[in-house]
Amino acid sequence: MTTRADIQHRFLHQYLACILGVMLAVGLWFNDEYGYSVVALVLAGTALYSSRYLIQLVGASNQQKFFLDQQLIQSQKLASIGELSSGIAHEINNPLAIIGQEAEWMRHLLKEGGSEESERYEDLRDSLQAIVRQVDRCKDITHKLLDFARKKDPLIQATDVNKLIEDMVKLVEKEAVHKNVIIARKYEPDLPFIFTDPPLLRQVVLNLLNNAVYAIGHDGTVTVTTRVGQNDSAVVEITDTGCGIPKQDMSKIFDPFFTTKPQGKGTGLGLSICHGIITRLGGRISVESAVGEGATFFVDLPLKQRKGEE
Amino acid sequence: MSSGPRVLIVDDEERFRNTLRKLLAVSGVAATTAGSGEEALQELSKEGYDVILLDVKMPDMSGIEALAKIKKIAPAIEVIMLTGHACVDVAVEIMKLGGYEYLLKPCPLDDLMLKIDAAYERKLARKGKSGQSAAAAKSIQ
Repeated sequence: MTTRADIQHRFLHQYLACILGVMLAVGLWFNDEYGYSVVALVLAGTALYSSRYLIQLVGASNQQKFFLDQQLIQSQKLASIGELSSGIAHEINNPLAIIGQEAEWMRHLLKEGGSEESERYEDLRDSLQAIVRQVDRCKDITHKLLDFARKKDPLIQATDVNKLIEDMVKLVEKEAVHKNVIIARKYEPDLPFIFTDPPLLRQVVLNLLNNAVYAIGHDGTVTVTTRVGQNDSAVVEITDTGCGIPKQDMSKIFDPFFTTKPQGKGTGLGLSICHGIITRLGGRISVESAVGEGATFFVDLPLKQRKGEE
Repeated sequence: MSSGPRVLIVDDEERFRNTLRKLLAVSGVAATTAGSGEEALQELSKEGYDVILLDVKMPDMSGIEALAKIKKIAPAIEVIMLTGHACVDVAVEIMKLGGYEYLLKPCPLDDLMLKIDAAYERKLARKGKSGQSAAAAKSIQ
């Protein structure tokens, strides 16, 4: 829409252009030193005025870009909230449905009678336990969500990544050995200490190791590799010989609530939490996989915390 | 033998399908359970059912895929879909594939019973209609 100010601005431009044109013509008409000075003065004035005008234009377009960026971020946020809430609804409504049914069944048992007292008591206790289990399931989801939302400031410390990983490997190995899953270590002995938050990194490593063992199920190998990456980074690779990730799932793997585990076995928040943590630590997490050929997760962490990063 | 509808409950949540089966039995509805879409298809090849309660989100074969296959094998069966979250796209897909109803979990038992009864009535009405048209066709011949 053209405003009154725009019209005035355009008129001013035309007016100034006319004056400068007349001055230029007069300067050239004189065709002597004085005339050339006038021409030079006019050209310098024009250049000065144009550059001021251009700076104003760049400023305005920058401001416009800022507003558009803000709008884009806002719409992306809304889309994420929509996706997240439908995931929460699904994950919470399923246990709620079971709780509702068990309560209904308990009401029936208390009202009807009929069966043996001890049998009825057993049935009631069973329903009660089912309710407690489903409440725990809901609690697990909400607590993970809260962890996800809570931005604990990372506390940066010099960390021996090999040692940190080895502690987690030992923990997972105890369980994995029963499934005949071997954990192979390929640690870079000269890996320098990195500056990161050890508990947060531990959480990520444990999650990735657990996922790797789960993907294998029985009989296989998880290989944990550390190495110095490009651009002053430390790389942790966790490779499994499991079922692999289908191509269509690759883009969703870090999305909240995305899971291929059966109902009640996984919340689908683990990898999205890992992604959030690694991003906050200034690193990157990625995955490579092919169906039937296992998967490799790469965690790329800066050796030093860059300025401005938490 | 019960004169009510024969119901098949398909849900990957074991506790959900077993308790629902017990609750339906109390209300006089005989129900069988299946833990996946694949199991449901096997069950359909063995037994005839009037109404299927089908979960939307299941691993391996989703409820939508199962619905398409069920409708191919036995188009007369009425299918009530159950889901943890309502989504317009899924609802549209269900209607397109011939699903009878789309219910959000947790759904009160009374509501579910009403839907099962309505679905059963519809199935009977359809059967009666096809029986009538078959008789009419016969009389014309």
